Amino acid sequence: MIVPNKTATGNQHPSGDERFKKIDNQLRRLKYEKDALLEILNSAQELFGYLSEDLLIYIAKQLHVPLSRVYGVATFYHMFTFEPLGEHTCIICTGTACHVKGANRIIEAISDKFSISAGETTPDGLFSLTIARCLGSCGLAPVVVLDGQVRGKETPETVTRRAWEIVAFSKDKQAEGS
Amino acid sequence: MLNIVIDGQPIEVQPGTTIMEASRANGIDIPYLCYHPDLSISGGCRLCMVEIEGRADPVPSCGQACQDKMVIHTQSKQLSQLRREIIDLFLADHPLDCVICEKAGSCLLQKYAYEYGLTKTSHKFNVSRSLYQDDNPFFVRDHKYCILCSRCVRACSEIVGADAIEIVGRGFESHVATPFDGPMIDSTCVFCGSCVQVCPTAALMPVSRAGKGREWEMERIETICGYCGVGCKIEYALKDGEICYAQGVSEQSVNGDFLCTKGRYGWDFATNPDRLANPMIRRDIAYQLGLTDEPWELPEISPLKVRQPKIGDSFIETDWDTALNLVAERMKDIVQTHGPNAVMGLASARCTNEENYLFQKFIRAGIGTNNVDHCARL
Amino acid sequence: MDSTHLEALAQEERDRQGKYKRRIFCCTSTACLSAGAAITHNTLDQALAQCQCDEEEAEIVPTGCMGLCSQGPLVRVEIQNHAPLLYGNVSADVAQQIVTEHIPLSANEEDALDDDSIDATTPHDFMHLRASGAKKSLERFIIPLDSPFFAKQVRVVLTETGQINPEKLDDYLAHDGYQALAHVLAEMSPEDVCEEILNSGLRGRGGAGFPTGLKWKLANQELASEKYVIVNGDEGDPGAYMDRTVMEDDPHRVLEGMIICAYATGATSGYLYIRGEYPIAIRRIRRAIQAARRRGILGKSVLGTEFSFDAEIRIGAGAFVCGEETALIHSIEGQRGIPRIRPPYPTAAGLRDRPTVINNVETMANVPSIINKGAAWFASIGTDKSKGTKVFALAGQLRNTGLIEVPMGITLQEIVYEIGGGVPEGREFKAAQTGGPSGGCIPKAHLDTPIDYESLRQLGSIMGSGGLVIIDDSTLMPDFARFFIDFCVDESCGKCVPCRVGTVQIREQLDKIIGGNAGPEDLDRLENLCNVVKKTSLCGLGQSAPNPVLSTLKYFRDEYEALLKVKTADVTNN
Repeated sequence: MIVPNKTATGNQHPSGDERFKKIDNQLRRLKYEKDALLEILNSAQELFGYLSEDLLIYIAKQLHVPLSRVYGVATFYHMFTFEPLGEHTCIICTGTACHVKGANRIIEAISDKFSISAGETTPDGLFSLTIARCLGSCGLAPVVVLDGQVRGKETPETVTRRAWEIVAFSKDKQAEGS
Repeated sequence: MLNIVIDGQPIEVQPGTTIMEASRANGIDIPYLCYHPDLSISGGCRLCMVEIEGRADPVPSCGQACQDKMVIHTQSKQLSQLRREIIDLFLADHPLDCVICEKAGSCLLQKYAYEYGLTKTSHKFNVSRSLYQDDNPFFVRDHKYCILCSRCVRACSEIVGADAIEIVGRGFESHVATPFDGPMIDSTCVFCGSCVQVCPTAALMPVSRAGKGREWEMERIETICGYCGVGCKIEYALKDGEICYAQGVSEQSVNGDFLCTKGRYGWDFATNPDRLANPMIRRDIAYQLGLTDEPWELPEISPLKVRQPKIGDSFIETDWDTALNLVAERMKDIVQTHGPNAVMGLASARCTNEENYLFQKFIRAGIGTNNVDHCARL
Repeated sequence: MDSTHLEALAQEERDRQGKYKRRIFCCTSTACLSAGAAITHNTLDQALAQCQCDEEEAEIVPTGCMGLCSQGPLVRVEIQNHAPLLYGNVSADVAQQIVTEHIPLSANEEDALDDDSIDATTPHDFMHLRASGAKKSLERFIIPLDSPFFAKQVRVVLTETGQINPEKLDDYLAHDGYQALAHVLAEMSPEDVCEEILNSGLRGRGGAGFPTGLKWKLANQELASEKYVIVNGDEGDPGAYMDRTVMEDDPHRVLEGMIICAYATGATSGYLYIRGEYPIAIRRIRRAIQAARRRGILGKSVLGTEFSFDAEIRIGAGAFVCGEETALIHSIEGQRGIPRIRPPYPTAAGLRDRPTVINNVETMANVPSIINKGAAWFASIGTDKSKGTKVFALAGQLRNTGLIEVPMGITLQEIVYEIGGGVPEGREFKAAQTGGPSGGCIPKAHLDTPIDYESLRQLGSIMGSGGLVIIDDSTLMPDFARFFIDFCVDESCGKCVPCRVGTVQIREQLDKIIGGNAGPEDLDRLENLCNVVKKTSLCGLGQSAPNPVLSTLKYFRDEYEALLKVKTADVTNN
């Protein structure tokens, strides 16, 4: 199969990035089987935070799977992203229970406060707002995940306040750094 | 053998035959958009649904294998109504540009909309794809006409093996694309145009066809491709003696709908004025034989360097008998004076197997030498 | 390792557990973790360490879901020879108190007894205690275990959930774990197992309700060099988390069911397909597989017999449609998760075109109990056509929300008002939504219907995987229907036109109605469109996508009608 030669030839990624070695290990573990594509994409998403073109080409080449298929598969599943997420992330659950308990109002509040809509990242790259289809914590609806921490029974006010605090803290740190 | 009944017609089929195949083989027409006899079953268009007695819901005939004693109805009030609704949904996502559409006349969606009497969609028109890509000299991708039947994707992967395109994204927003939605040339596409031919709508159209006329105005000529010995059947669509496009001939040939890039797009020589139409004899020999009064003169500068020699400069036209006689005589001469091993035969891959067999027989038995070879071996 | 060794290990663990005077169970499943259970668990551990009591005094056990998720974090205290006590909303402070109150501090023990002149280790006395202020404050957090929330439930799938440490294989063994597998391998032929499951009347818990035994039998009859078992843990319905809980809190039960299924069908390898959104479930199943391999329960020669089977995890990446079995197979094969038309059914040609049995997590978790207690016992629970129990994730506007397991045939009335405790003050029950985006809304008038596969379908809903969301009068039904259609538009794979375009058009129609721009004829058009999508879609997702709209149109048509443009005729009449 011919793959556009955006990465250098050879079996290893030319950048020498440690994360590619981890991908290689995973590939070896799964015996380079074509079936393993989804597993590898999952690992890649976890390691890199997003799937770049270079990364997808590398995976296609290593697995000997057509690049078109790799791209088709990656765009099918919603957990894969193609642009880096912000430094801080806010995932809002919009499952039925959370919907009934007002998840939409939380989304609106966050969107207003940060001037981004769901699935977007602020221009300064500090904050991303994502939407999840049920995190399975329905007993505690509405549920919000701020920087990986699951928080139940939230209100628009508590979420925006906490999110604003985290981002403001990062901004301060950036200002100090520069 | 299984005995089934389709629309009251008793039919005997091999086990494993689908209802669609059985119907087509017996001239029973079932509408379809995503089905293609040479491709795997998709089952996405939902038009080929038929009723089987004893089953509550209609089933897609393309994927349902016949079972013994099955009684099938391909037409009913319920089916007509469901098909009409499905076409209605297709039209909600497909602009009705039929008045200016190049595909009009051979478009399957148009055909069914006509058959089921739909002038427009009853839903809110809401087209999901608007991309227009003309990034290569062979075909145009106009996504707004795409109905996502996935025939092109299957042809590219299953028949051609190029895997250049895939359905990308999910749901209403999904579309057929190359990796990273890049230009065709950056993909693994071999530009065989198979996708263009299997496309039921105007989503994929040959560039050469643009503005040449309507489908029904075109004269169609079938021929065998001269590029190689496979013997693909080609149909040329001509308007006013000019070729508009070439395509494979479905289901009656070795190639079906599929051609290679040369067969499908390499036909501009056909109407080239420089194309050889008759045998030619070198002017100096013709002069010796008394076939012409003008002797051949060497051009002042080598014709290879300055300009392409015109046929008439060093050759004269003749008929087949003269030409073949001349060759036969000269050949005999050479064999007599220098022995058969002074002759060598080189056959062409553009000839059929049978022709190549005859040729080697001629060289071996007729001339008497084993000096024979074939260009495909070089 | 063989079954006698297994029994020895189980006994060893039972002895170990038996020597503790008190065992404090702290729920560490996802719901309680999001309520802060990690801190609670830590505090319990630290507090116990600070006590410096004898090792045999107490043990802290991290467990799975105890059910009443709305009151999380939950902590249960079991004291030898006493009824257990359940505490809800256990913050760090409360956790600290629980330890100090229940475990006699070596130094302060005497004082404590002097102060209250009662034995702090006797829960019954403790419950009636009024003397100590500290204990009074703790009393507020006690949840009575004889309340209808617990009393109405019948636990089969969730037998060990909340009772064992899900990360310890031995704990599962001590609760008769892998006994069913040992029995099956020693005494039953694969055909016997299929027959037993068929006789039990167990039906697929993923939603469609296909008889599990029949599925196994079909796969058993196939001749193939290789067969597969797949456990479907791609629980995508918003509002449902039964499968996640079972995988997180009792992973070995799922594995046991899976291995029995493999034995019954002749499969040699299998996959557990788990939603990517469930990291804890993935981790626990992964550990369970590793532990089972170490103990010879998975791998070559299962429990010392000639039967070999190994399982692997496959992680989903966010696609609801992958819960559909053919889409799930494509996903495991590393392709786009798109359903294909059936037949051939997976039992004939599934993963890599080999015979494949796909069962939902909950279905698999039922299997060990059926083998242990017999098909007749299982068939005695439930209704005529639907046997056994069903786990529901109870959510929405109710006093008690959480995870419940009830016998088939229980009425919604009982679930909502007795187990769920009714809707909170000042609100009124409006509808129960079952089956997530594939299900429908059941109004008050039908609350007395016994729940089983058939009755729910008749009501225009489905059993689904078991999400049960209660809505009160603050939710408008057209809005609610639009929420589900929005979900289906988002999750449609795009393969067939009724689902791809049809759901979008249903949404357009709903928007038109909600926006007040629709006339009465639009309601009929909407209904017709829904029926077309239902009848002509390729897979279960599309076929059931219009259910929320159809069921609300059926039971709450007045709400739709109220949104219609006032008819011109009416205006002139006025």
